[in-house]
Amino acid sequence: MNKFSQILGAVAAGLAVFIAAWFFIHAGHGGSTSAHAEDPAVAAATVQPGGAPIDSSKCILPVEQMRSSHMQVLDKWRHDSVRDGNRVYVNPEGAHFEKSLNTCLGCHNNNPMFCFMCHQYADVKPTCWDCHLSPMEVPQ
Amino acid sequence: MRKVLQPLLLVLVLALIPYVGVTYGKLDYLFGIIIPYTAVAILVLGMLWRLIDWVRRPVPFRIPTTCGQEKSLDWVKTNPLESPSNPFMAALRMLSEVLFFRSLFRNTKAELHGGPKLVYGSHKWLWLGGLAFHWSLLIIVVRHARFFMETMPMPIQMIDSFDRFLDVTVPAFYLTDAIALAAITFLVARRLSDEKMRLLSLSTDYFPLFLIGGIALAGISMRYVTKVNIMPVKSLTMTLASFGFTAPEPIGALFYVHLFLVCVLLVYVPFSKLLHMGGIFLSPTRNLPNDSRAKRHVNPWNPDIKFRTYAEYEDEFREKMKKAGLPVDKQ
Repeated sequence: MNKFSQILGAVAAGLAVFIAAWFFIHAGHGGSTSAHAEDPAVAAATVQPGGAPIDSSKCILPVEQMRSSHMQVLDKWRHDSVRDGNRVYVNPEGAHFEKSLNTCLGCHNNNPMFCFMCHQYADVKPTCWDCHLSPMEVPQ
Repeated sequence: MRKVLQPLLLVLVLALIPYVGVTYGKLDYLFGIIIPYTAVAILVLGMLWRLIDWVRRPVPFRIPTTCGQEKSLDWVKTNPLESPSNPFMAALRMLSEVLFFRSLFRNTKAELHGGPKLVYGSHKWLWLGGLAFHWSLLIIVVRHARFFMETMPMPIQMIDSFDRFLDVTVPAFYLTDAIALAAITFLVARRLSDEKMRLLSLSTDYFPLFLIGGIALAGISMRYVTKVNIMPVKSLTMTLASFGFTAPEPIGALFYVHLFLVCVLLVYVPFSKLLHMGGIFLSPTRNLPNDSRAKRHVNPWNPDIKFRTYAEYEDEFREKMKKAGLPVDKQ
């Protein structure tokens, strides 16, 4: 057994100890894993996002679709309205909406953290607020 | 053709298992919690078992493969990187092999030109394809830290933003996604396009490529095309990272295809050619300094043989040798 292998063996052993230690440290918090469910971010995703819409009776698309694809809808809206000047969105059910962030915030403005709760939890940083005023910056 | 289609079919069946299981069997807990823990346990224990086994193998002598002049006399020009004489240079050589695949850079291709003319030429495509494949895979794995930590650490954030710096499409397009797919395609095509490579390749060469390709396709599809809700995904991965056992909320079946194929890959690593990941560090031909001329390496389990020198022999038989008229060293 050469010296290099001995060092590697030591590193492997250290890694094993580290993983074991990690396991025990986190196993101690095992009880608090269910706390993820109480986490407001997760709660917002699992229950109604930001509560029910206020004045409009319906969202533009079903909840599941909004949760997974809202970024693509908004990206298309931006493209359509800024480049093509088309500001009217017709959803699959035939209802008309204005292609604007205000359409979203018209209903989802009851919580200034509506966007941020999920985005912070998932560590996703949208570029919306590079130009737009974010709901957190608007005085309530 | 069988050794190409068999692994392809195997990957398709493996991808179908979680899809059917989650869609029709409601086996979210099995595929989301039980199988990932089992897979990681098998990976860690399997790697330790294999590597400890290799580490315990004795390497009494220096057997480095070199392609440079060993250190000898002062006026002989040496090549310390190709034929390292100390552990530091050996480590450098190992690192340059692991990080930049230097030995593949020397890859040559033999071709017959117009009949009996055999020509060797430099052939860097394998080096380039392999490098692109391994590096993009590493970056992809590293930026999955987003799912296993509450916020990404600074260095990983930098890698992530570098990876998406083109800033096209929403969600932002990752360069490594495209590079990894292109590299896998090249590596498969390389084995298929050449007669000699087709003969040499086994199903165990194609299987990991198809498996990693399947994982990448499922992941890319989830991100850009079919879309899944990321919140329950993060919740599940955070549960896994903190060794929790909370049942996952419903996630799209495609996510479980991705996760299950990753689990298959993890389990496959310790028992296949993919173990080169750990094995390369233990290669005696790579990690040993070439100092046989400077240092005497004695095999530690040499039997303790009693040698008898000629002087001792002569001491015993000197008188008899003198009588017989034989020449002796000492009078």
